[in-house]
Amino acid sequence: MNGAAPTSFDTWLAARADGEVGAGLDWLEAQRRSALDQVREQGVPGTKQEAWRYTSLKRLIEQGFARVEDEVTALQLDDIEELLIPELESHRVVMVNGRYTPSLSALGDLPRGVRVTGLRALLASDPDALRERLNGVAGESQPLFAALNTAGLDDGLVVLLDRGAILERPIELIHLSVGMDEPRVAQPRHVVSLADGAQATLIERYVSLGESLYCTNSVLELSLGRDAVLKHDRIQIESPNAFHITGLYLSQDANSRYVGVNIGLGGAWARTDLVTRFSGEHAECDLQGLYLAGDRQLMDYHIDVDHAVPACSSRETFKGILYGKGRAVFDGRVVVAKDAQKTDAAMSNKNLMLSENAEVDTKPQLEINADDVKCSHGTTVGQIEPEKLFYLRSRGISAPLARRMLCMGFAEEIIDALHSDALREAVSEEVGRRLETAPLT
Amino acid sequence: MLSVKGLRAKVGENEILTGLDLEVGPGEIHAIMGPNGSGKSTFSHVLSGREGYEVTAGSVTFEGQDLLALEPEERAHLGVFLAFQYPVELPGVNNTYFLKAALNSIRKARGESELDAVSFLRLIKEKLKILHLNDSLLKRAVNAGFSGGEKKRNEIFQMALLEPKLAILDETDSGLDIDALRVVADGVNALRNPERSMIVVTHYQRLLDYIEPDRVHVLAKGRIIRSGGKELALELEEKGYGWILEQEQAA
Repeated sequence: MNGAAPTSFDTWLAARADGEVGAGLDWLEAQRRSALDQVREQGVPGTKQEAWRYTSLKRLIEQGFARVEDEVTALQLDDIEELLIPELESHRVVMVNGRYTPSLSALGDLPRGVRVTGLRALLASDPDALRERLNGVAGESQPLFAALNTAGLDDGLVVLLDRGAILERPIELIHLSVGMDEPRVAQPRHVVSLADGAQATLIERYVSLGESLYCTNSVLELSLGRDAVLKHDRIQIESPNAFHITGLYLSQDANSRYVGVNIGLGGAWARTDLVTRFSGEHAECDLQGLYLAGDRQLMDYHIDVDHAVPACSSRETFKGILYGKGRAVFDGRVVVAKDAQKTDAAMSNKNLMLSENAEVDTKPQLEINADDVKCSHGTTVGQIEPEKLFYLRSRGISAPLARRMLCMGFAEEIIDALHSDALREAVSEEVGRRLETAPLT
Repeated sequence: MLSVKGLRAKVGENEILTGLDLEVGPGEIHAIMGPNGSGKSTFSHVLSGREGYEVTAGSVTFEGQDLLALEPEERAHLGVFLAFQYPVELPGVNNTYFLKAALNSIRKARGESELDAVSFLRLIKEKLKILHLNDSLLKRAVNAGFSGGEKKRNEIFQMALLEPKLAILDETDSGLDIDALRVVADGVNALRNPERSMIVVTHYQRLLDYIEPDRVHVLAKGRIIRSGGKELALELEEKGYGWILEQEQAA
């Protein structure tokens, strides 16, 4: 790198040569300006800030990521064949470097009351459909990377289900990063809105062709109406040199149910913020996660569950396997408001350490302001138990295979929670492959 | 087949085995009995290669090989099998997958081809039939949430599948009611053959009503202080261990 490394987000914010998306929409312009101001105001947070206490932004800033501008048009279906899961029957949406790519997508027939489209396209054709929804869940005041995403709004997936609409097959979003010859950041913004009683399954897969250095800064806004059900699997397998950021903002109305399974395997530096807020009673939120962190990998999870109303339940179950010099952070926070009686919340984080050089910072917190609640949290950091290893070895199984089997057994609970057999199998294989080459010191 | 000579082993600073001698020939069943703390489990563990034991003297030779120099999996490849007193629960590890990994690891080590899924399932079915077990335990995680009886049956099932030359049954009868005991003993008896030797470690004579041993040894304070035929077990049942210990001390 020539000259001094960047020390700010200026490279992220340079104006787009062909103009901003949705230019001329006053409300969007206002949102963008507000986001820009927030980014400038926040500067680069240091490790004294609670949200960045365990994770330095230095490495990320130094890359000097610039916004993706060019659309990739040359890719054919053959080129991405290795990334597809043939047995997974889905409504497939492919995005390349943050841009919705219809030629690689296969939406198929969608039932009545279901709209699946690109954010850019919808801003052009029916911006009013997005007016209340864009930043409707993430809110006006945004954390740094959500604000960066808003300021640099580009494209994304929009899924809108009308009242009572039921989608049988999952929507599968494949977010592909490819051929970036200089450090670029793609900033997809996904908006998923389920009206009362609607039901859908969403699968997101973040993948790459090649091992290039890039950044994905994605934001998801999920809104569930009364009685709505969303099942949501997220699989992050970015390039080994990539930076990955997710901000997931979830809002749940009465009796709605959300089940999210987060699998984090790839990337060099990955940060995930899961922020959920209940707005109606008797809603259920189930967040599960599995992460692997090996040499040169950081997996950083921040979970924020806001029990603002009574009688909702939340589960946060995260498991990590760390090896080599892998690092992970689990910072989970459940806040129960004063009026939120009958809240049922349980948070757990378990870590399996395969090497002495791996490191995890885990901090589950409960902040309870109501007196009639059922809340628990637990965290473990342990190693493979010698008696389990001996049991397998005494049956003729080599020590490396025995270790792998025990790791897979540990991961099984979360992989099992995925919402498709084909996906379970694909993830299982990928986890197995990574463990096979995992250094144990 | 198995020759143990002057075996001494300690855990930390405590010497548990103090000069143990034992010869087991092909097809023989030897019962090792003894009071609590006599070193029965330590002996089983040292034979199978569990960590945490330091052998300070003596030798263990199995079919001409120095067993103590081998890793646990290498002992299994030679045909040594330990039925655990407390089978370990492995949540998330599917029992069928585990059995297949074990069998194919052993086959591979012996230069045999690995079994494919179909041949493996056929073999499993056959073994289940011999032991009169149903296949429900195959779908579950290894020993996870199994009852005491189910765990012990799963041990015997593994033994049936892996066809060891030397099986060490470490207090297989502990924690079993009489019906479960009979099922397990029937399984063991079904696996008896002229090439397969067994060491049955037990505190009580009860198990030997069902599994008839060729030799009975009394282990006390880390070594074998008396050996005899199966009538020795009956004598122990009647009189307890005290009289032997007294005789030993007097001698």
